[in-house]
Amino acid sequence: MSKAATGTAGETKSVPTLCYNCVAGPDFMRVVVEDGVATRVEPNHTAADIHPGRGRPCVRAYGLIQKTYNPHRVLQPMKRTNPKKGRDEYPGFVPISWDEALDTIAARMNEIRAKGLLDEAGLPRVAASFGHGGTPRSYMGSFPAFMASWGPIDFSFGSGQGVKCTHSEHLYGEYWHRAFTVSPDTVLTRFIVSFGSNYEVTGGVCAVRRHADARIRGVKRVQIEPHMSATAACSAEWVPIKPKTDAAFMMAMIHVMLHEVPRGSLDLPFLRDRTSSPYLVGPNGYYLRDADSGKPLVWDENSGRAVAHDTPGIRPALEGNFTVPVAVSHLADQEVMRHENAAARPAFVATVEDMKKYSPEWASEICGVPPAVIRRVANEYVENACVGQTIEIEGRTLPFRPVAVLLGKTVNNGWGAFECCWSRTVLATLVGALEVPGGTLGTTVRLNKGHDNRLVSVVPGEDGFMVSSLNPTSTADWKAKPTGRNAHRTLVPIVGNSAWSQALGPAHLPWLFMEKSPEEWPKQRAPELWITFRTNPAVAFWDADKLTRAIARMPFVVAIAYTFDETNHMADILLPDAADLESTQVVPIGGTKFVEQFWEHQGVALRQKAVEPMGEARDFTWISTELARRTGLIEKYNAAINRGAIGSSLKGANYDFSLPTDQVHDADTIWDAVCKASTAALTDGKEVKDLAWMKENGYFVVPFKRADWYLYPSLADQNLRFELPYQERLMRVGEELKRRLHSQNIHWWDEQLSEYQALPEWHDVPGRWVKAVKAQGLNPDDYPLWGITTKTMIYSAGNNSGVPLMHEVGQNIRGHGGIIMNANTAARLGIEQDDWIEVRSIVDTTRGHAVLVQGCQPDTIVIPGQHEHWKTPFAKDLNFPSLNTVTQMSMELTDATGSGADVVRVSVRKVDGPKERRSA
Amino acid sequence: MTRYAMVADLRRCVGCQACTASCKEANGTPPGVQWRRVVDIEVGEYPDVKRVFVPTGCQHCADPPCMHVCPSTATRQRADGIVTIDYDLCIGCGYCAVACPYEARYKVDTASFAFGDEPSACEEVRHDPKKIGVATKCTFCVDRIDAGRAKGLVPGVDPDATPVCVNTCISGALAFGDIEDPDSNVSRLVRENKSFRMHEEVGTSPGFYYLWDKETP
Repeated sequence: MSKAATGTAGETKSVPTLCYNCVAGPDFMRVVVEDGVATRVEPNHTAADIHPGRGRPCVRAYGLIQKTYNPHRVLQPMKRTNPKKGRDEYPGFVPISWDEALDTIAARMNEIRAKGLLDEAGLPRVAASFGHGGTPRSYMGSFPAFMASWGPIDFSFGSGQGVKCTHSEHLYGEYWHRAFTVSPDTVLTRFIVSFGSNYEVTGGVCAVRRHADARIRGVKRVQIEPHMSATAACSAEWVPIKPKTDAAFMMAMIHVMLHEVPRGSLDLPFLRDRTSSPYLVGPNGYYLRDADSGKPLVWDENSGRAVAHDTPGIRPALEGNFTVPVAVSHLADQEVMRHENAAARPAFVATVEDMKKYSPEWASEICGVPPAVIRRVANEYVENACVGQTIEIEGRTLPFRPVAVLLGKTVNNGWGAFECCWSRTVLATLVGALEVPGGTLGTTVRLNKGHDNRLVSVVPGEDGFMVSSLNPTSTADWKAKPTGRNAHRTLVPIVGNSAWSQALGPAHLPWLFMEKSPEEWPKQRAPELWITFRTNPAVAFWDADKLTRAIARMPFVVAIAYTFDETNHMADILLPDAADLESTQVVPIGGTKFVEQFWEHQGVALRQKAVEPMGEARDFTWISTELARRTGLIEKYNAAINRGAIGSSLKGANYDFSLPTDQVHDADTIWDAVCKASTAALTDGKEVKDLAWMKENGYFVVPFKRADWYLYPSLADQNLRFELPYQERLMRVGEELKRRLHSQNIHWWDEQLSEYQALPEWHDVPGRWVKAVKAQGLNPDDYPLWGITTKTMIYSAGNNSGVPLMHEVGQNIRGHGGIIMNANTAARLGIEQDDWIEVRSIVDTTRGHAVLVQGCQPDTIVIPGQHEHWKTPFAKDLNFPSLNTVTQMSMELTDATGSGADVVRVSVRKVDGPKERRSA
Repeated sequence: MTRYAMVADLRRCVGCQACTASCKEANGTPPGVQWRRVVDIEVGEYPDVKRVFVPTGCQHCADPPCMHVCPSTATRQRADGIVTIDYDLCIGCGYCAVACPYEARYKVDTASFAFGDEPSACEEVRHDPKKIGVATKCTFCVDRIDAGRAKGLVPGVDPDATPVCVNTCISGALAFGDIEDPDSNVSRLVRENKSFRMHEEVGTSPGFYYLWDKETP
């Protein structure tokens, strides 16, 4: 049997800890340990009253026991003996000691430091990739402090998350309303229109509980998506729609609201006072501005003249056509155009006129949904918005607008996502349902500061809006030379330059450029050292075979390894880290975080060592400390910990738990200081809880104001406006970016530049995927179906694909490991239930069992999860298909934010069985 | 009298299988044995389709067919309605599995483990050889109920006296309690909502109620 941890004979204990295996966490749990062996996971019922998910983790947490005792774990450091890399190359891993492993890495890093941290192209010589939405951070102990002590690291290489996640929404959502992720105010809302947002699967336990409560309360959710997900199953109505046509549906809803319902049904005061709707747009499409102050003008109905938007006592007009005697407009590159007697219309009018052509009848032709359905959904949305009503939250009277629009993955990333994100936000804006009780909320920020309370990021910026930290596009400050291999500062202004920005750049470009980079682009060399942790891009990214070839070109790969997998197959050193139940880390909880993690409490929780690590696996904090010591960075590393690189700053106004910087500290010493500082920070130094207390109690919280769920009060208090619906700034930024890129003779980003519009214009979004087939000289008729993907809760991300329990219970969910398709389509193709079928795209083929259902668009097939493993033990024997294998990774299918989508044109045919296995 | 019953609110269940997984861990059932599971059902024709998730398992019937066919008296019914199997008496004939209208009974003849022939450290602790070669099924976590009651706890209210699947359920779909107590949570749920019991027509009088709509006033 496996080597088990030792424990006291006969002792059974229940250890409080947490699970943060998906972005919708963290969630509480307890681990029952019998004689030193973890035997089961259970909820932490003591947290039921502070955790919106009632102290219960989701199904994946129950897989952590098998994950711990998986006999396929890498349990000792290993090194590669075959210098050749590739899927078909046997790596020849042999065990080595921790000293040899760490010394080998340190020698390489010291060599790099001696040469310089940046290479000849100015790119970091060290790169790192982490998986699923930042969650690995909650398992990497003090490694962030090591990275901070090291200096520049390239986080450009995507691993599946980022560009194929809810990418465009991350960027536009945060830009418009500090919504890196978006949620309905489920506790209060009454009507939800969800375009493929799979909340019941990926929303986490907080969302599942809240939405279940909402259903009992009578909330109506309309789920609009190509196939009937679990979320659709739990919705009042499922509306099938063709993939990538969601924007047409939403633009038609806006059309109905602007052209069919009485104007008084909209929240006109909200539009007038809290949005840019009254800003006057001149003939050139830019705002007309006061000639002296440069402030955008509005038409004051009181005085009958154009005045600066923030002039006291005015009543800005939302509608009308006006003539402004004197004004200026701010064009690209600080060019100022002077206007005399300029024709002017409020941005609201521009929007109304622009949306006139997008009727439900027009949209129906594109998205395949009857006009009457679109019209009904729009009308129900308006009727449920309760325009004019208020609610009192913690003593403050706020608008009550219980309607929300949600977007799912593939809807809110890749081409068409800009239009969807804009439409989603404008739908909220038109009825004043943005960031108010009952409405559409953002729940966290990542491109701005304020991860635990996004309200601190509401600071006045230009033109009466919140400040925005765009990457510069001016001649003087634009970064012509990329600072990372995905060029986020060069190509994507809206992604900004926070600690998270680089990972949210066009993270597939580095992989593409490793194979072939554009001629007018700085030549990029692979990083000399690449660190991977909890990531498997060889399976999790598009065009998996191409990705695998690119990974094989990495000269030196350090993989923090749980088992062998498809990515660490190309590693040079494998380091076994202590797994979820074997290691210690303090994790922030509550406040407002991803998805529906907005609580009435905030604090910290301890992910603690419930059992001793198996084999020679070591706590990541120990690994990080040793790397710092061996690279001569221990003082900087300790200083980074003291600054707060792994949690709260260890020194505050009323406390100081700073660690001596010249010493090597063990993991418990480090986390003891973090526990004390974190609890002191939450209580102004009044309460200090040490590691021993946290081990016993599991978490520490203080109240978090519910009013802080909403951004609206912060804007109202500062008399700020949402930068909606008109996108003058983005239009200007796009023009500047075009000039900068063209000045470098770069034209391969021109198509992306077309997304910088003041108001979105429908373009043939699904047609882009058809064109991609034609561009390869192939006949689109040979690929008549859409291929898309979906998730199940058991595999939300793929890091538990090697856990048999997940597979076993997953078999109860339709589509598990198969290919879902409409039964009538299948009959036409001679395909019967459980037949083996092959899905072919212009990229590759994948095979799986046919799962025939009625709840799927006839022209769409769905491959759940991202599998087709060829190395990961257990998973590789399942013969599961993967959309990633057949999905194109290309520049032409990349949008302006740098994201793509899990969608591809495919054909399907019946075959005899699975693909012939290649060696691994 | 007490009769323990389970309630599954089909409006709440999202089919996540957390109950399935936690049941397997709590009861140490081998691969393929699911005393609690959630069935994923589709009805209708495109585009008028409904999909529903139905938690199922032993229904702890008032008139359990499994008990009637049991030749060894291993299957019995307690006074509180819980249907039990005495592994020492069970001869593994499987009649009960055939008789059960709910396909709730399992029987495995050889030990098997998640990763192959060898048990993991956890499985070594949890493996119970008594469950090999005999019929097994959901027990309503009877050991938890009895241990909890011995401490004065109330099944369905206090987690330590409540079946694990109910404690686990993230949507709040599963509830447990004494259906004979008009003030219990399960009695209130059944009273205030439309409900049905599975295969009620065969006369088993299951102790498992499904809620599917609010009672219209």
